[in-house]
Amino acid sequence: MKSAGRKPTPSPPAWANRFLEWYCNPELLDEIQGDVLELYYREAAVSKRKADWKFIWNVIRFCRWKNIRKRKQQKYFNSTGMLQNIFKVAVRNFFRQPGHSLLNIAGLAVSFTAAVIIGLWIMHETSFDTFHHKPDQIFKVMSHVNANGTLETYGSARANINLEAIPEITEKAVVITGSRWPNELCFRPEDKPHECIYLFGIFSEKTFFSMFSFPVLKGDKNPLASPGNIAISESMAYKLYGNEDPLGKTIKIDDHFPVTIASIFQDVPVNSSLQFDFVLPTEVFARMRGLPPDFFSRDFLPVYFKTNTSITPGALTEKLNEPSILTDDLKKDKVSYSAFPFIKSRLHGEFVNGISSGGRIQYVNLFRIVAIMVVAMAVINFVNLSTARAANRSKEIGIRKVTGAQRLSIVMQFMGESFMIVAVALVLSVISAQLLLPYFSLLTNEPLSIGLLNISVISWIWVFLVLVTIAAGLYPAVIMSAFQPAQVLKGTITTRHSGAQQLRKVLLVVQVAVSLGIVIFTGVLFQQLSFIQKKNLGLDSENILHIEPTHKLLLQYDAFKNELLAHPQIKQVTATNADPVNLAIQTTGVSWPGMPDGMNAPFKLLGGNFEMAETFGLTLLEGRMFGSQPKDTLRIEVVVSESAVKRMNLEEPIGAPIRIGNPECTIIGVIKDFHTANLKQEQLPVILYPHDLLQCSRLYVKYAPGTTAEAFALIESVYKKYEPAFTMKYHFIDEAFDKMYKTERTASIMLVFFTLLSLVITTIGVVGLVTYNVLKRRKEISIKRVLGATSFQILRMLSTEFILLIAVAALAGLPLAWYSTTQWLSGYAYRIQMPWWIFGVALAGITLITLTMIAIQGFKTIRTSPAETLRNE
Amino acid sequence: MKGSYIGELEELVLLTVGILYPDAYGVAVMDELERQADRRLNISAIHAVLTRLEEKGMLKSSMSEPTEERGGRRKRIFTLTAAGKRAIEEAQALRAQMFNQIPKVAFQFKIVG
Repeated sequence: MKSAGRKPTPSPPAWANRFLEWYCNPELLDEIQGDVLELYYREAAVSKRKADWKFIWNVIRFCRWKNIRKRKQQKYFNSTGMLQNIFKVAVRNFFRQPGHSLLNIAGLAVSFTAAVIIGLWIMHETSFDTFHHKPDQIFKVMSHVNANGTLETYGSARANINLEAIPEITEKAVVITGSRWPNELCFRPEDKPHECIYLFGIFSEKTFFSMFSFPVLKGDKNPLASPGNIAISESMAYKLYGNEDPLGKTIKIDDHFPVTIASIFQDVPVNSSLQFDFVLPTEVFARMRGLPPDFFSRDFLPVYFKTNTSITPGALTEKLNEPSILTDDLKKDKVSYSAFPFIKSRLHGEFVNGISSGGRIQYVNLFRIVAIMVVAMAVINFVNLSTARAANRSKEIGIRKVTGAQRLSIVMQFMGESFMIVAVALVLSVISAQLLLPYFSLLTNEPLSIGLLNISVISWIWVFLVLVTIAAGLYPAVIMSAFQPAQVLKGTITTRHSGAQQLRKVLLVVQVAVSLGIVIFTGVLFQQLSFIQKKNLGLDSENILHIEPTHKLLLQYDAFKNELLAHPQIKQVTATNADPVNLAIQTTGVSWPGMPDGMNAPFKLLGGNFEMAETFGLTLLEGRMFGSQPKDTLRIEVVVSESAVKRMNLEEPIGAPIRIGNPECTIIGVIKDFHTANLKQEQLPVILYPHDLLQCSRLYVKYAPGTTAEAFALIESVYKKYEPAFTMKYHFIDEAFDKMYKTERTASIMLVFFTLLSLVITTIGVVGLVTYNVLKRRKEISIKRVLGATSFQILRMLSTEFILLIAVAALAGLPLAWYSTTQWLSGYAYRIQMPWWIFGVALAGITLITLTMIAIQGFKTIRTSPAETLRNE
Repeated sequence: MKGSYIGELEELVLLTVGILYPDAYGVAVMDELERQADRRLNISAIHAVLTRLEEKGMLKSSMSEPTEERGGRRKRIFTLTAAGKRAIEEAQALRAQMFNQIPKVAFQFKIVG
């Protein structure tokens, strides 16, 4: 048909012409192209440029539905038969190379399992507090204290904060939470009055149940309106009263104050950041602690509020800092308020210099990335293994094409096969995820709020299935369906797809880089955690049992102590008002002689009786510790840490008069610094002071090393003697220490799994590519062998390419690993030096694994006789 | 779309195809329309109308021999069918009939009042 004229005619833009030929229905092409060309030549005689434009314009104008090439409607007369055939072929192929297929499915299933579990965990973490009505309109008031230039953030505000001044705020509630007395109380079941069930609760105001969505099932809808009421959860009601109706019954708080059960509320969901079994009015809190009725106007307590419109936290913060709310005395103490969205309290709970700096969300994001990477790596393997096998299927594809299969139907066939494999892997992984979830909950120490049968989980799994099928199946399907039947059937074509080969190399590089990254990150994390564990805290945390005393026990403290100390296993007994390992009491209200004006330095306070320094093994540097009897002075004696001396810039610390708030104190001793918080935070100066024994909330008993069991039995029996009505509540102090790094520890265990997983997947990928390479070069290897190459030379030849790939992967992976670990480590005030050896070990390890795989595969080929490989030539 | 009703452009194209007999194809129809009726239309629009008229059964078509001025492409030559001829005649008659019913007075363009 191409009988174009010989005279030098101008020609229209080739691409436009090609575009026309591509889209145009072949039946209409002749007339349309003819007309367009005729007009073009006519115009081109005048102006070529104008003609070109007009040509393009016409081509575009002709591109309408009527003229577009349509795929011929396939008429499958025996479509079910064909489907059966395709299915049968897929199954046969699966079993023809069972090892390969299982490798493929196993790789996918393992990574999907990880992804499913992580997915559930992420959904659980992000679902926190979303069950409340309009959760984005609930806020918490945070207060920031300017301590020498940096802002210290506290999750509390003055309890009587005047929130009525802001018209958008409709409700306000103080919610007092905590993990010890008075939030943890002993309740006695009705039929067993000598038993003691410890349950956690909160104290709040009458707006509590209308502000938060904790549905009241029975009884008064607003139980906190009366100070003599208590609201309890369903399960608590069952524990205490069985199936009886508990409404109207009386409970004695601390065996002392009676309160009436006014209502029963639904058990608090797992994904609530407020966890409690009972709610008491704040008046009870005041009574229990012996606080004066006006404590609301002085004390800082957690304050929540709800707005009636959606308003940004920024705008609310501005309003909170107006003088009608932030009173002058607070301003003088350099306090400022901010509004923090309640919904963020789970994942964004950390503050640095007054600004929300993340928190758990960092780990959520870390695992989100890790899960995506692991799935991506498994998908890469699938693509690699499938394309490596393409040659085996080439004849089948050729026959299918010859007998009239269109490319699209072959693509669909291979997509279908991928779909089946991915679906099988996914089903396996969902089953194993279900089986593993209980162990996972053990690891995270809390049950997940979302199960696999949740609607959104199921729909996510479907989306995942489709996406992964497309990602894993499309490329192999396109590659395989592109075979030319004539070439394939003649047997001339092998898998000489240079594009496919390049891609597989790139994919392997990505895999190796990711594995390197994960391995290094995990290694650094472990180094840091063991650093934390071994770090000298300046405080003895081993062999100390922490007991929660009752009021009665504290009254008999001396007798209790003396009886314990009579036994050789018991070394020391002391009482404090706070946890020295995780010291929460902090103040900026310390003043000393020569303090610069307006300075607001933070100090930690620890109150206790005179033995505390000895029990915790604090080292005295100067002066003396507290005596058993206070010296005859009006001033309170305090012991300070060396950094406190430095902070106060005292030349002669002993005897220096300081003030903590109003009370006047004298420094009588200086001790070495010790860590009072987790190592993410800078050490703060500490002041120890003698505290009224009856106000102490913790007893610590130090016992001789190696006598844990005996000492424990002893302590329990002595406790029972002095406080028969209560079960002893105890903790080991190093547990409290470990608790501070719970997230890190959980993360590290999970990361170890991921490290192994990524290594396994990378190994599978390496094996796949090595096998393929060796297979492809079988003849080359045989010829070289015939010509006298040694095994070593051949292995070296096979390895060169992989060494190069690993080098490229290292170039990409190591800087990323360095960056992410530096970022993570920078969250710790006390951290290890970057352990470079981990980088080396990881790189060497991966190289070693690869070389081993090459050696194994290479020897297989080397061992077969060259004659066998070369015979068919 | 199919039916005996034809639009104004379709009527013009039918007439043009008649005039150009036996050489009516896309570009020729376009040129003729421009010359006679001063209607500038894109070639793709002409094609669309011609196809539509063929679907309505008013035109029939056959492919010509390839010619050099068209880069060796063939033309689709359109000719009127009986139905096509009847359609123009009906349109013509309808116009004449309606035109004749206009009272003479309506044509006396004077300034009224």
